[in-house]
Amino acid sequence: MKVRARFLMVLSVLLVLCLAMTSFNGVSAAKQYKISVVLKALNSDYWKTVAAGVNAAATKYGVEVSIIGPSAETQVMEQFNMLQDQVTKNINALVVAPLRPQATIPVFDQAKKANIPVLLIDTNAAWDDKVTFIGTGNYNAGKKAGEYFLQKMPKGGNVIIIRGAMGDATHDERANGFTDAVKSSKIKILEIQPADSERGKGMDVMQNLLQSHPDKIDGVYCTNDEMALGALRAVTTANIKKKIMIVGFDGSPDALKSIRDGGLTGTIKQDAYGIGYEGIEYAVKCLNGEKIEKAIDVPTVVVDKANVKQNITAAEKIVGHKL
Amino acid sequence: MQAEAKQVLNNINWRNIFNKLGTLLGLVILMIILSIATPYFFTVKNLMNVAQQSAINALVSAGMLLTILSAGIDLSVGSVLALSICVTGLAINNFHVNPVVGFIFGIACGALFGLVNGLLLTKLHLPHPFISTMGTQNIARGLALFITGASPISGFPNWIQFIGAGYIWGIPFSFLLVAVMVVVFHIFLTRTTLGRQIYAVGGNKEAARLSGINTDRVLIWIYAISGLMAAIAGMVLLGRVNAAYPLAGLQYESDAIAAVIIGGASFMGGIGTIWGTLIGAMIIAVIRNGLNLLGVAPDMQTVVVGAVIIGAVFIDVLRRRGNKR
Repeated sequence: MKVRARFLMVLSVLLVLCLAMTSFNGVSAAKQYKISVVLKALNSDYWKTVAAGVNAAATKYGVEVSIIGPSAETQVMEQFNMLQDQVTKNINALVVAPLRPQATIPVFDQAKKANIPVLLIDTNAAWDDKVTFIGTGNYNAGKKAGEYFLQKMPKGGNVIIIRGAMGDATHDERANGFTDAVKSSKIKILEIQPADSERGKGMDVMQNLLQSHPDKIDGVYCTNDEMALGALRAVTTANIKKKIMIVGFDGSPDALKSIRDGGLTGTIKQDAYGIGYEGIEYAVKCLNGEKIEKAIDVPTVVVDKANVKQNITAAEKIVGHKL
Repeated sequence: MQAEAKQVLNNINWRNIFNKLGTLLGLVILMIILSIATPYFFTVKNLMNVAQQSAINALVSAGMLLTILSAGIDLSVGSVLALSICVTGLAINNFHVNPVVGFIFGIACGALFGLVNGLLLTKLHLPHPFISTMGTQNIARGLALFITGASPISGFPNWIQFIGAGYIWGIPFSFLLVAVMVVVFHIFLTRTTLGRQIYAVGGNKEAARLSGINTDRVLIWIYAISGLMAAIAGMVLLGRVNAAYPLAGLQYESDAIAAVIIGGASFMGGIGTIWGTLIGAMIIAVIRNGLNLLGVAPDMQTVVVGAVIIGAVFIDVLRRRGNKR
């Protein structure tokens, strides 16, 4: 009996708590926009920076945001299900960085039916009813990397691409943008090898490539910074005399440090913070009935020795400690 | 005199030798083919690279071997590896403890997680280690992401870098570490009571229990050692790339299982050697390296690795069938 009484007591307390929470939500929801932000993942510097931008804009405009994302950038279905769940929730707008744009269009249509405006950030989708796309896009950013190589290697050279897992749309675009940019130039792409976006594998792959193309490699383009740092480690531990230029992608704090200290040559940095911030800003504008252009360009920059200092200062503000 | 020599020859069990050499023979043939196919393969530099590239998997596989010998499995090794190096990384770079202490923290963390795996299996009576270690796989990965805030931690003292990237007399230190580990494991598995008990538990758990072996104690040791080996492998990775990152060791469990199985261990438990496992790990590294040197398209590389796993086990099945006859 005693156990049962205690159980009932706990239950009633919980009930009261639940009621209190729902009523609280009910009051605040009346004057606050609820915006769901679905990212490609939450566990990397890049997406954490996007989230920081989202939160900053949310505070400024006084909107309620929930930021979610799948456990890894390969979990396409997980993201699909997340989006579906958001549509069934009573939200005002949806801000999405789609993992597989083509595969995600059916959920966007569902959102449209539910009168939820959809804004795309980071990665565009060929879907006519989107409010807008905010970002540069991985393909164009990859192109920018190619142009940087053209500029740094005016006489041409042999280049290797180390990329994320095969079939990963983000890395396909980053690699294709690069190959298209250097096509019909004197830069020759010796090989494209995947290293699953991971530092240890990046090092393995680079070690092997240094064996199969001895003294031939002039440059390496990696589709993320982790692999670039792995490739750099392979080159430095192999005591290669020749200067090999290594360019990464993302502008992660570790990569910026390496550029400052003379390791990596450069990195392609998408303005992650700006993408997150403007995602919310334009969602609010849209909800307030303002007219918005179909594409908002958030510039992508190449960070190298020349501008690394200012980028480190900016990154320190976001991560909250000295690099 | 001649009759005696004949006697000796007859006493040699050729089948036994073939069995012992089977996997080694596979490795040798593979290396000969690659040496002919590409001029870059059989060079000192490249062979040392392969040795270095196989070291991490060999260390993880040694722990995996024990679990498979006991008819179990440890799916948590990759995540435990990541958590261990993140603990070491945070301790040294964020909490500024003495690097030696931080290093020991990480290794202890791996052993502790292994211990938890063993306790879950024996004390909570979870039906199969597949389940307990799948649980801890997720827990360890989540904790690694949580404590690091998902960011890599880089920059470690030279002696830690030496473990993963250093050379002694031109041989990677990490591979020397593997050599020592193989000798220790060999003695452990063949000469110590606990080692022999592992085979007994794997061969027939009930019979082992009835003959007075404390099977729970044996199993707890097995999983604790597996966690410990994952952590040691992690320290090699940490030194190699000079960074601790929470997504390290993804899918290392599948490479380790493949190495153990290619090395002739039986999934049913009770059969397998550390030498076989070492060769299994080297075969995987040689294939990856060789296909890379040959410039085989990356998508096909994955196909080849899969085919080799199936092929190696099939040869093993044929061999066993031959033995029974």
